[in-house]
Amino acid sequence: MIERWALLSGLMGDLETYELIQKDLKNTRGDITLFVLGDVVGPDKNCDALLNRLVNPHRGDLKPHCIYGWWEEQLLAESGYRGERKADALRLNKGDDAVTALMNAVDPYYLGWISSLEFGFVELDCGLIHGSSKDVGDILTMQTPPLTLLDRITRLNVNRLFTARSKQQFHLELTDAVVDSKVKDLNGKRNQEHTLPKRAVIGIGAGAHYTLYDVGSDQTHFLTVGDVTKSRGRGFA
Amino acid sequence: MKHAVISCLHANLSAVEAVLGDIDRQGIETITCLGDLVGYGPQPNEVVELIRDRKIETCQGCWDEDIIDGLDACDCSYPSQLAERRGHMAHQWTTEKLTDENKKFLASLPTSIRRGRSLFVHGSPNSQHEYLLPDMDAFAALERVEMSGADTLFCGHTHLPYVRELGNGSIRVNIKNASDREREDIKMTLPIRRIVNAGSVGEPRHGGVNATYVIHDDIKNDVEIREVAYDIDRTCEAIIEAGLPHVFAWRLSNGFEFAELAEDASHVCER
Repeated sequence: MIERWALLSGLMGDLETYELIQKDLKNTRGDITLFVLGDVVGPDKNCDALLNRLVNPHRGDLKPHCIYGWWEEQLLAESGYRGERKADALRLNKGDDAVTALMNAVDPYYLGWISSLEFGFVELDCGLIHGSSKDVGDILTMQTPPLTLLDRITRLNVNRLFTARSKQQFHLELTDAVVDSKVKDLNGKRNQEHTLPKRAVIGIGAGAHYTLYDVGSDQTHFLTVGDVTKSRGRGFA
Repeated sequence: MKHAVISCLHANLSAVEAVLGDIDRQGIETITCLGDLVGYGPQPNEVVELIRDRKIETCQGCWDEDIIDGLDACDCSYPSQLAERRGHMAHQWTTEKLTDENKKFLASLPTSIRRGRSLFVHGSPNSQHEYLLPDMDAFAALERVEMSGADTLFCGHTHLPYVRELGNGSIRVNIKNASDREREDIKMTLPIRRIVNAGSVGEPRHGGVNATYVIHDDIKNDVEIREVAYDIDRTCEAIIEAGLPHVFAWRLSNGFEFAELAEDASHVCER
């Protein structure tokens, strides 16, 4: 059976969308592993029902493998889980009201579970992270300079990096990378040509936009909730 | 115009005096220091005051930062627990010996100095604790320079002097976006950039005992790595008299490079 990963992020308390994605995945062929790359909480709606569903999946749900995202980082910081650091980035960008709204959107009961989430997963030769290997808030897009993308991939020692923070869906491949290095030191001079095998950064989308990844063929399918039902002819269902 | 770049003085007065003498004899008036004025060595106040007296523009090193802010380098900066204990002992000794005025001076140092298209840092533009070794991944090295907005990056921290030029680079970028129909395929030329590591004045780890520094000729755009002999016995005797670990003197007198070199020198401390 074809091995697939379903990757989603940015639900921000939206249980309805999560249920629709679960429904889509039930109708999708393959042995599917579900990864939730953070931002399951947010300030705009109460997140407790979604959190409860992630912590206690319903019978028939694909079990979600979750990591924390930027909004969880802000929540944990403001709740005292990051030492003296508070939700400074959120406060700076959206003000005190947003911080208060975020705190009110999540029952403290769930903080223990959120604080237990990992920064990222490494599966096979792939890194699965909310932002990047540099920071949970790092935004990687199609416009990010290739050297920066390579750096974020190299830090994890992987070939592919799945990222969510930008909310964009894209599959960017970096190939034929070459650079000459000339080093002079006390032992003399040496020249070397450096090359890299193919690397890729995949933006998985957010909310109703999610990604299916075929592990064996390295194919990505960018989906929106409901697409599976409409696209049976494309082989998802 | 020629200018000299020195780094990692490590409270070794004899070495600093010898290097400054070598620079003076060549008539070079502009000197930039990449930090780590203190740590390991027996004369922290004397070295800081010499740099202050000479008004040498200096950025802050990881030891200078740690003395002010407390230790933040994690265990993996050391190759062994024994080396870590010695490092912590040197930290405590230096903290006790350094005058308040000299601590204030270290606290006032910038983490980087920018001069035209050159950037001067202790470790890397990312962190005072990051090692840019001569054989680090070439693309990552290029990224460090390019993202800092410099053509030439001057750094220290590794105690290994070198000049690394990165050029003739290219990369192909293929993008598939959400619509699945639009694809872009672009071949991009990578920039030409240079990293100049000044080595170490007071704690050489290049396999020899001499202090090292570099001279940059910005007209010829050439970099010379200089080795300078100094009175090692004077520093070693001062280390013993100060009660610092004898291994600090032993490695200086033998030029052993491995004494405090981390196994994973590319590691960036996140603590």
